[in-house]
Amino acid sequence: MTADPMHHDQNLNPSIAATIDAALRTVGSATPASGLEGRILNRLASERLKIESEPARSPLLRWLPARALGLVTACLLGFVVVAGSVTHSRRIRPQLVAPPSLVLPGQGIGAASAVHPAAPAPVPAGQPGRSARRSGPGRARIAPHTRKAPGVAVPAPPTKTASSDSQN
Amino acid sequence: MSCFEGQLASWAPPAHPMTVSSTQTIAALVAEYSTALYRVAFSVTRNAAEAEDAVQETFLRVLRHESRLGEIRDYRVWLVRIVWNIVLDKKRRAKTRPEGEDIADHARALPSSDRAADATAISSQEQARILALIDQLPAREREAILLSAVEELTTAEIAAALGTTESSIRSRIFRARRELAVLLEKEGIPR
Repeated sequence: MTADPMHHDQNLNPSIAATIDAALRTVGSATPASGLEGRILNRLASERLKIESEPARSPLLRWLPARALGLVTACLLGFVVVAGSVTHSRRIRPQLVAPPSLVLPGQGIGAASAVHPAAPAPVPAGQPGRSARRSGPGRARIAPHTRKAPGVAVPAPPTKTASSDSQN
Repeated sequence: MSCFEGQLASWAPPAHPMTVSSTQTIAALVAEYSTALYRVAFSVTRNAAEAEDAVQETFLRVLRHESRLGEIRDYRVWLVRIVWNIVLDKKRRAKTRPEGEDIADHARALPSSDRAADATAISSQEQARILALIDQLPAREREAILLSAVEELTTAEIAAALGTTESSIRSRIFRARRELAVLLEKEGIPR
């Protein structure tokens, strides 16, 4: 059974269905120019000659140039990445004046028993701890002549009341 | 015997499988299927030269994969699928395609009896307009209705070529014709 479209739509307007069928028939019954088979066979013959004239190469050899190119590219990329990383590290490394010298005692032979000349820095006495510092009453102060943007309401500075005076 | 049955009778698979060389097999495939493949290609390209190119490309691919010929169960479906993919790929690449003139050329190339019958049914301008409307259909419906136009293909073969079921193909064709009728009524194509 062919996929006959003409029996699918009894509900369609018959004239429209006939129009559609006629257009489809024109496409579906297209006839190639004479000699199509001969042209195809000629092209196939020339293609076969071309295939047979090519030297038989294994798939490995066929893809070898591409693989070699990929390998070289990967090596170059790796070199660029490593060189860039090393250059960057050298640029940001802190300048060391001299390596710390270890003075070994009489009996010790390891780093654990070494005498480290760099003593801990003493804390200067008399200064209060950072937590003891006070930064003020904790209330923001606005100078009385500060320029204010139009429309911004700024509270007036607190006035000294009698009670606060008595407290002070 | 109806016209379609006559077509089917001439479409018996070629007696070749792997008892003869692949060259003879391919030659038999060319003799058997080149016209049908041309029609499949023409339904999409609407251009005789492009359709012939697609058929030639199809058989070139067959030649490149001739070692697999023995694995193919249904040569017709296999070849239709190849040519279908080729023409869709070409269409995607080209984006635009010349239409109209080739439909008229084809109308001139039809056998005289067919031409007379179609000339009474529809003019080449109307064909071009209807085919342009077919191009506006959703892809699934469009593919189904275009392949259904190829006389040699059965619903089962269309389904196999498009990778779906026969019932799906039937419903796609039904929907396509219904939508096409709506578009035609909107366009007001004179009858």
